Amino acid sequence: MNVLREKTWSPYVAGVLAGLLLVLSVFLTGKYFGASTTFVRAAGFVEQAVAPDKVAGMEYFIKEKVKVDWQFMFVVGVLFGALVSSWLSREKRAVPVPRMWEERFGPYRSRRWIAAFLGGIVVMFGARLADG
Amino acid sequence: MNELIIGAVTGIIFGFCMQKAQVIRYDRQLGALRFQDMTIVKFMLTTILVAMVGIYFLFDLGFVKLSIKPLILGGNVLGGLIFGIGWGIVGYCPATAMGALGEGRYDAAFGLAGMILGAGIYAEFYPLLKGTVLTWGNFGKVTLPTALGINHWLVIVILGIAFVLLFRWFEKNGL
Repeated sequence: MNVLREKTWSPYVAGVLAGLLLVLSVFLTGKYFGASTTFVRAAGFVEQAVAPDKVAGMEYFIKEKVKVDWQFMFVVGVLFGALVSSWLSREKRAVPVPRMWEERFGPYRSRRWIAAFLGGIVVMFGARLADG
Repeated sequence: MNELIIGAVTGIIFGFCMQKAQVIRYDRQLGALRFQDMTIVKFMLTTILVAMVGIYFLFDLGFVKLSIKPLILGGNVLGGLIFGIGWGIVGYCPATAMGALGEGRYDAAFGLAGMILGAGIYAEFYPLLKGTVLTWGNFGKVTLPTALGINHWLVIVILGIAFVLLFRWFEKNGL
């Protein structure tokens, strides 16, 4: 299947496919796509390892339920889907610092990684507050 | 098939589509935020267009249920602003960070670790936020058609035309 080995698809074509996938998902299983609740559950699992009693008593973890569910597997699946796609099209592997970042902030890995970590904290707090 | 396997398969196909459309790249995400490259917007709006037509069609036939989130201005607006600041720094949203790691952009691993910590911090603040920000401007589960009191197909057609005009404008300007 040559089309699966192509480096890139038009975003419109890929968007139509993703849209059809979503319709099919809702039709067959009633599941809408989402990701950020999974990060709450992942945080719950991490905290459970250290302080299970605390997690059991926290309102937000009780509300969102710390468990591996459809969405958790969906989010894990996204990683593997991207891995398979880039492997089939032989994309360059292992990029430590994005090109646009490097142009502005230089090639220093630690600088990018710290920013990504801090930005990750902020982006997820916002996502959860907006309930997205 | 059980629910977990279906979730994984759906995620794999979705991740595959996102990788092919190159929307899981930092450069594409920042490109959109800097109004230089609208690839991710094209992908998202096309997905929304197809899904809203398909899902409302099945909804009218009684085959599916809608999943409507409440409109809470306090949470949506403040959360959106905070999300935007974080997004501009990390350059990935939650699902695309997973995809980025999958295609070898391992700065995303640090973003993902931050996201898990951010979710944990939010859980700590939730009892406080629930009684304050999350009560501000709560309109409940509304949609554009119910709020405007018009048929959903009218909204879909108007949005569809708006999206297509936007796509034409992107293409004309090489975005």
